[in-house]
Amino acid sequence: MRIALDLVQFLVLIATAPLLRGVVARVKARIQNRRGASVFRPYFDLWKLFRKEDLVPPTASLLFRLCPVILWAATVAAAAFIPVLRTSALLGNQGDIVLLVYLLALGRFFLMLGAMDGGSSFGGMGASREALVSTLAEAPLLLGLIAIAIVSHGASIATIVQWTAARAPFELSPAHAFACVALVLVTIAETGRIPVDNPTTHLELTMIHEAMVLEYSGPSLALIEWSSAIKLNLMLSLLVALFVPWGMAASDSIPALAIAAGVWVVKMAVLAVALAALESSMAKLRMYKVPEYLGMATAAAILAVVFTAYKR
Amino acid sequence: MINLSFNSCLVLLLAAPVVTLALARWKNTRYLPAFLLLAALIASGGAALGTLLGRGGVSLDLTWLAPYPFALALDRLSAWFLLLLSAAGAPVVLFSASYVERHYKGARRHWLWALLPLFLLSMALVLTAATAFAFLFGWELMTLFSAGLVAIDGFDGERRRSIFIYLVMMHAGAAAVIGAFLGFLPHAANLDFASVRAGAPFMTVGARATIFLLAFVGFGVKAGIVPLHLWLPKAHPIAPSPVSALMSGVMLKTAVYGFIRFAFDLLGAGIPAWCGYLVLVAGAVSALLGILYGLYEHDLKRLLAYSSVENIGIVFMGMGAAMIFNAQGALGWAALALMGALLHSLNHALFKSLLFLGAGAITDATHTQDLEKLGGLLGNMRGTGIAILVACCSIIGLPLFNGFTGEWLAFRSFLAGGELSDVKAAIVLPLAAGVLALVGGLAAACFAKVYSVAFLGRPRSAEAAHAHDVPWAMQAGMALLAAACIAIGVAPSMVLGLAGSIAQQLIPGAVVPVAAGTFFQFIPWVAVFVLAVVVLGLLIPRVSRITPTWACGMPGLDSRMQYTSTSFSKPVRKVFNRVYQPQRTVEILPANQPFFPSSISYRSVRTTTYERLYRPAVNAIINAARGLGRAQTGNIQVYLLYMFLALIAALIYMRFS
Repeated sequence: MRIALDLVQFLVLIATAPLLRGVVARVKARIQNRRGASVFRPYFDLWKLFRKEDLVPPTASLLFRLCPVILWAATVAAAAFIPVLRTSALLGNQGDIVLLVYLLALGRFFLMLGAMDGGSSFGGMGASREALVSTLAEAPLLLGLIAIAIVSHGASIATIVQWTAARAPFELSPAHAFACVALVLVTIAETGRIPVDNPTTHLELTMIHEAMVLEYSGPSLALIEWSSAIKLNLMLSLLVALFVPWGMAASDSIPALAIAAGVWVVKMAVLAVALAALESSMAKLRMYKVPEYLGMATAAAILAVVFTAYKR
Repeated sequence: MINLSFNSCLVLLLAAPVVTLALARWKNTRYLPAFLLLAALIASGGAALGTLLGRGGVSLDLTWLAPYPFALALDRLSAWFLLLLSAAGAPVVLFSASYVERHYKGARRHWLWALLPLFLLSMALVLTAATAFAFLFGWELMTLFSAGLVAIDGFDGERRRSIFIYLVMMHAGAAAVIGAFLGFLPHAANLDFASVRAGAPFMTVGARATIFLLAFVGFGVKAGIVPLHLWLPKAHPIAPSPVSALMSGVMLKTAVYGFIRFAFDLLGAGIPAWCGYLVLVAGAVSALLGILYGLYEHDLKRLLAYSSVENIGIVFMGMGAAMIFNAQGALGWAALALMGALLHSLNHALFKSLLFLGAGAITDATHTQDLEKLGGLLGNMRGTGIAILVACCSIIGLPLFNGFTGEWLAFRSFLAGGELSDVKAAIVLPLAAGVLALVGGLAAACFAKVYSVAFLGRPRSAEAAHAHDVPWAMQAGMALLAAACIAIGVAPSMVLGLAGSIAQQLIPGAVVPVAAGTFFQFIPWVAVFVLAVVVLGLLIPRVSRITPTWACGMPGLDSRMQYTSTSFSKPVRKVFNRVYQPQRTVEILPANQPFFPSSISYRSVRTTTYERLYRPAVNAIINAARGLGRAQTGNIQVYLLYMFLALIAALIYMRFS
């Protein structure tokens, strides 16, 4: 029963990922005074891509088609770590923050390899930039998570969420505030949103993530697009679970779960609107300003860790 | 049984060079040395595994052979490192069987097969020594034999200088280790480890700290801790690839072994607390600078040498954390951090040997180890390519590969450090996790570069385009190591238990936290989950079509339009400019047409070096030698006077002592 519930919330996270993307795009369009596409547009895109031909460069190796699959598998596995409706998750009860971060790194590593395998300049351009951003994002991400883990006396994601959910909001420490700042900044960088990267850009010279996937098409591209949608969904859900877990189902009864689902939808909608507003109000940073941006995240994460030591 | 296999390993290693040189004339005995070595390594691996599983140990007194106490013993710690030697050594020997055959002829081949067993034997001596004399005997032989092996490929010009630097630094390190042992003399007359261990508690804190510092410097030189790493990027690239694999994979670990022996066994628990911070910070600096320098390189073997500096740094971070926990009385977490260091040592031995063997295979196939001339090798070298992909994933510490297990233990113990009551430790240890994460990110960038520039995309030279995969014995050697990397990565519980038993022996009273055990039992499930999703992804129906890449409407992409090793690392290099302080030269030809050049050449050289740090010491030594030179007049009367004065001095000393 428990496992079935965990399976359901895991599937919800994967299935709603394209919807979140559609909502962000729709809100963004409205803010910019456009009508925008339907919020279900990403689903139609995926469906279309899955039925198209997979075009492979003549010099590509066997890894070219394998890389998107591994990226997808790693991202899906990472999604199984995130508590959504209940304070537990399919793999999140024993799976800890380090494994979560490194699973995402596994997917990213293979995406970089796939990009370089295309044999054109753009893949290399994207991969080398992604290498920079992800290198600098890893330390604040882990430090932020570690700060919260120290405060809540446990490294597994479920333990952390249960600890926070059992307390009132004002009981949280300054460590939480700083970790929250760090993780929000990192989430934006990791998911390739403005101001670090522009997911809707059409100019190759400024691309990061989009340059990496330029040679991909058909089902391979669909898997990559779906993966990045899942990543956005799981990172935002992780933020929700770590910092505002209140409302999650305490028992396994149907009403509690329904309320939890509603609360989760509201929280995610707020985050989606905030993300859209942020993306509409800012320009993309110059590439070499990104280290400063991530340096800010690192500083916040270090402060969070320092505060954990002085809390007692 | 354990005794028998250990002794037969020693006998085989001793016999192998004799047999090699005696039978050098017969052509059909050319694979005999490899067989002897494999048998010896399997025997030593069996002895080590038997000891680790608690089937008794070995102790062998050979004092009748030597002027000083000379004994060998196999306890759990020795057995762990002996197991590491066997696990990394056997595949390397298998690889060498074919590699040496293809690359060396006549006398050089015989020398290689004669020195290789002696090198392995000297490392086995170091790892199993039970007296200071046996340890130092093995330590010195290890330096000399490895230098001999490095010199096999030639001994002229730059190589001679590199080998000279290697030898000088090794002897400076050995002097520090000898000094550390001599520090025990007042409390342990014949310097066997048992009496040293018994005598250590009676020493003053100052004496113990001095011994610790000497041991740290001595073993730090061998392990390649920044700024004592200078020899590593010089000696590793010029050695034959299997030798580099053994030097980087195994020989560096003998220094880790020596350090653990000193810091956790011989000196006991009475080391001042600041020593732990020293080791942690030195490890963190090494890890960070090692990988940053590695990222700058495009010579594959030099890059791998710098990456060894990084990994040794991670191992020292684990040991430093263990010492800090020990000083704080958190024995369980100390054990966990130490287990992380042990496990990372083993893992590094496996994947770094594999990477060096891969470098050998690439050199074999393309006659170059310059990344800028490689590319697209995966098409023609499938076996090598897949093995090296496993090694790259492992060295980055990606989950489901072995590198993750050791790093996870380090992360978990750093995290636990945040709950210590001591504020300094509670801040420093979690921040060390941040350094480790940054190092992990840089390593990912570095090895994404290595793999994608060497094996993916288009070939950048004719040699790379026409490469053929290496013979089966070389592939089998690499496949064995890759299989070991995956096996430990997917099912780490078994090796965790072995490492745990060592940590409990070294840190008496430690109870290993259950968190590690339950987590490592959980990893196979994650592996099953990921694999199931991968299979699901592969089952998606798809129609593929091979079609040229779009080249912005221009005819034909060629390999020069790809990102190279240098351009791939450019953004990271630019951000860490301060570390490199590069000197760039851009040449545009012809000079009068800057906007329509016919050729542009770009060179960038790192100018940060550590040779400046050594300058004062080198100058002092040269000056001292000059001063001594003045006493050497060459006049026989003066020498007779010296002897007479020495005699008088000796008589006076004897009279009054």
